[in-house]
This record gives sequence, structure tokens and C-alpha cells, in this order.
Amino acid sequence: MQAPDYAQGFWNPYVAGVALGLVLLMSFYLMGTGLGASGAVVRTAAVVAHSVAPEAVEQNEFFKSLFKSGGKHPLMNRIVFMVLGIFLGGFVAVLTARRFRPEVGRGPTAGVGLRLSLAFVGGVLGGVGTRFALGCTSGQALSGGATMAAGSWAFMLAVFGTAFAAAYFVRRQWS
Amino acid sequence: MTGPLYLFGTFGYGTSLIVSLITGFFFGFVLERAGFADSRTLTNIFYFRDMRVLRVMFSALTTAMVGLIVLSWLGLFDYSVLLQYALLETFLWPQLVGGILFGLGFIIGGYCPGTSMVGIVSGRLDAIVFLGGMFVGIYVFAAGFPIWSTFASSGNLGRLTLWQVFDIPMSVMAALIVAMALAAFWLAGLAEKWAPYDKKGSPAQRRS
Repeated sequence: MQAPDYAQGFWNPYVAGVALGLVLLMSFYLMGTGLGASGAVVRTAAVVAHSVAPEAVEQNEFFKSLFKSGGKHPLMNRIVFMVLGIFLGGFVAVLTARRFRPEVGRGPTAGVGLRLSLAFVGGVLGGVGTRFALGCTSGQALSGGATMAAGSWAFMLAVFGTAFAAAYFVRRQWS
Repeated sequence: MTGPLYLFGTFGYGTSLIVSLITGFFFGFVLERAGFADSRTLTNIFYFRDMRVLRVMFSALTTAMVGLIVLSWLGLFDYSVLLQYALLETFLWPQLVGGILFGLGFIIGGYCPGTSMVGIVSGRLDAIVFLGGMFVGIYVFAAGFPIWSTFASSGNLGRLTLWQVFDIPMSVMAALIVAMALAAFWLAGLAEKWAPYDKKGSPAQRRS
């Protein structure tokens, strides 16, 4: 038997890991900070909400620090540029490997409706989680982990411990 | 030149945005080449089918960790600047609770933020829906912020490192983490053979 087709044609995981580690090292050497992604989602969400209801967003205790008068535009931030790079780099990688394929990633017996509903629920939980933890797998687990930041390791253990424990209950969407 | 270059003022704000864009480009490229655009590959680890996520993450983490230490030994990186100005602060309780919510989001949603972006450019519809859910999650957090703002900044222990927690030299802590990673790589192979959710063995095992 072969590996499922969605898992074929990728780099050896250790090669990919060392390459990812070198990108992270480059980021620390150049910028003093690691990688990140969720911060850009916050800033984009804030700008979108601000275009609809500027006053409500400027008065919101969480968003208002992004809209200080005289401050830079919320999107003029390194994390937003990094995420633009992620989209670009990912797209170039997909195209050059001829792997672009519209589909819904799900287990062989899981329905599309179930999978997309759970993707949404998971996105909401993940979004809330990143704001309590001040980062995600890249900003906290990888970047904080590589610099041995205590809170980042606590976050990483909580993420993987919870996911292993909860996996049983959502096994139907993946099996 | 001694890093971190931006913190030493070697280049300015405008250049830092371009540097971040280029760094992000490599980040996204490698995530795709690692196979992290697909939610099944990302969640297979939690069913012991394919431990690729563990192998990639721990080899990336240890590469950067050891790399920073070697660079600082060579005088090419000032680790004290990182510790003083850039190390992520610890907020223990919100980071644990955030980690639990994020872990649930990961196994239920199938993605984390960065990988969902690579999933989107690979054509994965579940990745688009996950990122849409994240927007909603951020609005939920912002709307309820008055309720949990005190908790969200609780347990602040400052820029605390693991070697300070365990009161051992930094290089010893790093060596322990490398040893832990090597043990995890070995256990990952055993876990794939075990594959408790699949009677016929894991895809990774069948591949070989």
C-alpha cells in the first residue's frame, strides 16, 4: 500500500524541519523576532471592522491600541508583511510543484458539510485561543520555543496535550 | 555583523517590512514543501498515523535554537539583546488556557493560522473556512474583552526562560531539549507502528 495521495511528493520531514529552522534563525538574526501569523489576522480583522463601524472599534478596549491618533496604519506592520510573504511563498511552492487542487481535506468517510462546519468551529476556537496566548504555533510554539521562553513551552504543551486528548472525539472527520 | 541587526539599527523600519516579507516568503514556501497545506497531514499526528508534524516542528525548533547559540558563541548574535528586548513574555494562565482553546481549534478545525494560509493558496476550502472562523474568534475575544481583560494579562512572569525556571546553564537546557527531540523522533516511529486508531497500521508504516 502507498501513502495517501495528499501526503505524497513532499520533502523529507527532517529536511523540511531544518529548512524551517533556518528560516526562523534568519528571522531572529535579522529582526530579533521570530515568525508569526496570527497577529496579522488580528490587524486585518480590526481594519475590516473599522471600515464598517469606526467609532465602535476605536472605543473597543482590545482594538483601540491599533488606532491611536498619530500612530501607523494597523497594516503597516512587520507581521502583516510576513503573512503577505507566506501567501506568496506558499503559492509559488504550490504552483512549482503543480499541487494546486480545490478540495476539502477530510477523512474518507466524512461529509463535506461536517468537515466545513468543524473547520469553522475550530477557526473560532483557534482565533480566541491565539488572543489569550498572544500567538500561535509559529509565533509562540516555534519562535518562543526556539528561544526557550517559558510561557511558549507552556502554550505548546497545552496545545498538543489538548489536541491528543480531544482527537478521539472528532475522529470521524479524519478517519 | 552582530545580530539582531534590526534591534542594533543596522537597517530601518521600511527595510524591516521588506525583510519580513522575504522571511514570510521562505516560511510559506517551506510550509508547503513540508506538506502542511493539508489538514489531514496536520492532524494525522494526533491519531499516530503520520508523525510528520512532530518531526518537522521539533527539528525546526532545535535547528533555530542551536543556531542562535552557535551564532552567539561566534560573536555574530547578541543573545542578551534578545533576552532583554525581544523574548516573548510569559503570561502563564492565559497562555495555558489559550493553548487549550488553540489545541481544540487545531484538532477540530484541522489547521493553525499559518498553515491555513498555505492551505488557502493550495485550494483547500476547509482552510478558507478555518481562517474565516478565526476572524469571528477575534471579534468574540474583542467583544468580551472587558470580561476577561484582567485574566488575559494575569500570571505575568516577564521575559522568563526555561533555563531560569530550572536554574541550569542555558547550554545544558538546550542540550536537554535536543535530547528530548531525539527521543521524540524515536518514539514517533514506534507510535506510527502502534497506530491505535487504524487496525491495518498507519499510512506511514504502509508506505515503507
